[in-house]
Amino acid sequence: MAKRIVVPSPLPGFGLTFGFTTFFLSSVILLPLAALVIRALGIPFSELIGLLLDERAVASYRLSFGAAALAAAINAVFGFIVAWSLVRYEFPGRRLLDTMIDLPFALPTAVSGIALATVFSPTGWLGTKLAIAGVQVAYTWIGVVVALVLIGLPFVVRSVQPALIEVRKDLEDAAESLGAGGFHVFRRIILPTIMPALATGFTLAFARGIGEYGSVVFISGNLPLKTEITPLLIVIKLEQYDYNGAAALGFFMLAMSFVMLFAINLVQQWGQRRMGLGVQR
Amino acid sequence: MSIALDQVTKRYQSHPVVNDVSIEIQQGEFLVLLGPSGSGKSTLLRAIAGLVEIDHGRVSLHGRDVTGVVARDRGVGFVFQHYALFRHMSVADNVEFALRVRRMKRADRLERRTELLKLVALEGMDDRLPAQLSGGQQQRVAVARALAHRPEVLLLDEPFGALDAKIREELRRTIRKIQQELGVSTILVTHDQDEAFAMADRIGVMHQGRLLEVGTPDELYARPRTRFVATFLGAANLLLGYRRGSALRFERPGAENVTPREIVAVIRPEEVELTTGKVSKDLTLVGSGVVEELQFAGSTERLRVRMPMTGTMPATPDREGADGSSWLLDASRTFPEQRANPLAVGQKVTVSARRIHSLPTPITSFTAVARDQANVEALRDSPLLAALAARMQTRITIRTTRTASAPPGMPVLAAGPGAAGTALWNLAHGASQVFVLPHGAELPARIVVLPGAEAGVGALGVAASLLRHVPAESVLLAIHEAETPERERAAHLRVLLDARSKALLDHGLDLRTELRFGDPDAELARELGMQANSMLVLGLDSLDDRETARLKGLLEGPTLLPVLIVRAPDGAG
Repeated sequence: MAKRIVVPSPLPGFGLTFGFTTFFLSSVILLPLAALVIRALGIPFSELIGLLLDERAVASYRLSFGAAALAAAINAVFGFIVAWSLVRYEFPGRRLLDTMIDLPFALPTAVSGIALATVFSPTGWLGTKLAIAGVQVAYTWIGVVVALVLIGLPFVVRSVQPALIEVRKDLEDAAESLGAGGFHVFRRIILPTIMPALATGFTLAFARGIGEYGSVVFISGNLPLKTEITPLLIVIKLEQYDYNGAAALGFFMLAMSFVMLFAINLVQQWGQRRMGLGVQR
Repeated sequence: MSIALDQVTKRYQSHPVVNDVSIEIQQGEFLVLLGPSGSGKSTLLRAIAGLVEIDHGRVSLHGRDVTGVVARDRGVGFVFQHYALFRHMSVADNVEFALRVRRMKRADRLERRTELLKLVALEGMDDRLPAQLSGGQQQRVAVARALAHRPEVLLLDEPFGALDAKIREELRRTIRKIQQELGVSTILVTHDQDEAFAMADRIGVMHQGRLLEVGTPDELYARPRTRFVATFLGAANLLLGYRRGSALRFERPGAENVTPREIVAVIRPEEVELTTGKVSKDLTLVGSGVVEELQFAGSTERLRVRMPMTGTMPATPDREGADGSSWLLDASRTFPEQRANPLAVGQKVTVSARRIHSLPTPITSFTAVARDQANVEALRDSPLLAALAARMQTRITIRTTRTASAPPGMPVLAAGPGAAGTALWNLAHGASQVFVLPHGAELPARIVVLPGAEAGVGALGVAASLLRHVPAESVLLAIHEAETPERERAAHLRVLLDARSKALLDHGLDLRTELRFGDPDAELARELGMQANSMLVLGLDSLDDRETARLKGLLEGPTLLPVLIVRAPDGAG
């Protein structure tokens, strides 16, 4: 008998729902992306390479990827601490704080961008204080990192939170009864257990940071070669009717997104294997 | 002494989950803490391991007071219900965890690990991850891990709870064997009585945070001291029985001149004899009933006999299958018995008992006494009495007729005008305790015990009985009149302390003790006024005028509170 691709299910409507899924995914995601790829690959190869390796483009990659990686790393540390205090302690206002974590998700990114720019600008009330210390945040790469930290925080917190809840009190009790001190318990038991979740959170925050636009452009100052991020460069190229340049950079970003998603998947699989999925407890 | 607990108390949000537990466990002993879920047994175990901080009391391991010592320095082995294995570590790393923490050398670790895995029959599993093992194997790893650092105390928290019956049986045997081989003092927590019977040297039964009774399995089964233990350890019929001299009858006495002594009789189903003919002389007649249910249960036959409430009376109020006029008695028979005398559903049988154990409980039943039906029902349904009866699994009967003697069980009266007189009359006519309730009284938050001299032991026994079921603070009050000579004071104090230690011994009850000097009535009033919702347990040495006046003040005065009066036994004083 021929092997069936679809396992029959007692639920009716498979044809309809699957058809809709394919149609929806194609029209909303695949089609525009395919158009982008075709447009980019239509550019002669040598010109494409030239566009991708343009000095301004490379500087923007460095800023986008560097700032995103740094912001994700900062978030991995502080997001973990936030998640820890939300999961482990009971304090007044905990639920409110828990809700506030999602604000960067919900807020239009332009709003957070303007808010950050206002606070950190040399005349803003944090900016003036930092200026005394000789640190300028707005219109420098530091500002980009600050914006990306704000945007990326919920990704880390929301990834780590369920994993931390999963670390049963039993495990820590067991380690403690076996003679392990607090630091040892944290390093040998808690950290390894939540590592996959933390890695997922880091990768998500990183991916989001690379693509972030709205919150960054107001605080970065957008100086070419200095504080210009790749998504902004695409917009600039579009405004200058440089469609080839925009398509080439878009294609590059798309490829990077794929790599990111692939990495996230690998990380998750690794975590599941390590924690022994299947025999759940 | 391997493990010693002294008045260990743990509260969550001021509600005690472990209440005043004291016990000592010998070197190499296997103690099973048995109790329903929520009885505080797991919390107690965690307190011993140091995983839970206690609010009061002391924990000693091998003579070392470890109350303030953190878990990692107590050196106990702990096994959790859900194994709590480190899932990212191999079996080897799990087992060696405690050794690594102690910076043991690699070769020594390997040797110890091999030895341990052999002990739990998991040789060669070193490199597996916990996820690759079955539940039973995981728990074996957990046991090996807990034993790695050679703890002198092993604590197991429902270790078989997540396993199926066959594996459970096997693991039970393994653990018992290991425990005996190593001679490690062990406490196991479970809610499964079969498990307790199978493994324990001694069983401690916990209920509502208190350690009710401790004893060997057969001791606890044959001679329980409390209703709870009698029914929690195996099936039991609890009946109200009436003793006159050496004769025991189960028929409820009518209005008689002399009040018989009421007891709570425990009759195990296997001690029930069902006959259709005459009852043999060496058996105690219980009554007669009709077979309602016959059930084949493998090696035995289980029967339920419907008994009319008019004859015998169950001691517990909400027995399964009971209605207003009849109740169900459990019996079981072996097959030889069944062959010799086959029975059928609907058959009328005479019920007798081969062996009867009477509970040493001071409160057998309550009898609400009032002049008319409306008042007696109000008294019966008052919140305090209803709550007490439900918690203590004690029956409330009612009586409205005037009789020549006090009712059996504890008479319950309404406070107010005339209450002191009625209370004294009951005490003089056969009752050994009287309970006087103000209208609408609630469960007390504090119980003050003023024991008296001769009545002290009885009063403390009653107080212990109450306190086992009521999560109330308890205070033992001793008042010395200012002008009492020194010598008498000492004698008085000795009586008090004797009564207290007897209460501790008999009922596991420990009370905070307060000594006061001054006018007895004023001091008592002061103590009772310190907190609303108090209750008084009063030991009454004599029924003289002075006591009468005091009772009048307590039972008829402007501020009323529940008072339980315990009379000194006959012949005393």
